[in-house]
Amino acid sequence: MVRLTCQQASRLLSQAEDETLPLGKRLRLRLHLAYCDACRTVSRQFESLRLAMRAWRERG
Amino acid sequence: MPTESDTASHPIDFAALAAHRAYLERIAQLELRDRALAEDCVSDVLTHAYEKRASFEGRSSLKTWLTAILKNRIVDLLRKQWREQPIDEPGDQGDDALERLFDSTGHYVNRPHDAGDPADLAHQDDFLAAVQRCVDRLPKRIGQLFVMREVFGSDTAELCKDLQITASNVWVQLYRARMMLRTCLEQGGFGRARIG
Repeated sequence: MVRLTCQQASRLLSQAEDETLPLGKRLRLRLHLAYCDACRTVSRQFESLRLAMRAWRERG
Repeated sequence: MPTESDTASHPIDFAALAAHRAYLERIAQLELRDRALAEDCVSDVLTHAYEKRASFEGRSSLKTWLTAILKNRIVDLLRKQWREQPIDEPGDQGDDALERLFDSTGHYVNRPHDAGDPADLAHQDDFLAAVQRCVDRLPKRIGQLFVMREVFGSDTAELCKDLQITASNVWVQLYRARMMLRTCLEQGGFGRARIG
């Protein structure tokens, strides 16, 4: 199985915010995140964006 | 302040609807980027809702019902805007900037900075304000799509149907949005070493 680059992982991380990824992609992403600190951070950044937009909406 | 107990209020008077005006205008403005248009749009929504108030069944909150009406209205407006200006404006792609985030081997040129726990950040006023500023700075269409996704909660299938674009286009645009936003937030100081 070919390793994902961070660039490829970033696309999958974003797509995962919008869809359930197909199993193969999900596993490759999980493997990448297991050894890549930078992409784990990006994953948290995307999660922060999602939660912030929800919180922003709920105010007011 | 309107509360969830609105749910039980039948019949609905106009004041109960208008109590949500500021909320609706805030999200309409983020989506439309035009205060006057947002205000007009919300006035239409409130008028329409009042006319149709008998059809409000109280299964959701009044706020949720109004937000759904606003969403439909905005979808109509966006579809019209996008049809009249089918070509992306300059800067709507931002691909070069995104490419520069990575080196030739696909690694980040600058290591992403962790700003902290996502759930904690979402409770911080300064973080929410920074996110709003960064959303406002996105290229228009990308921002509109992102707000449709994250504020109105449209899923990919809805975005495709409502805005007549393909699923892969939706993913690409939302990817651009998120990458630009994380960069914008890092530049704004979130993710740099912060005290406290």
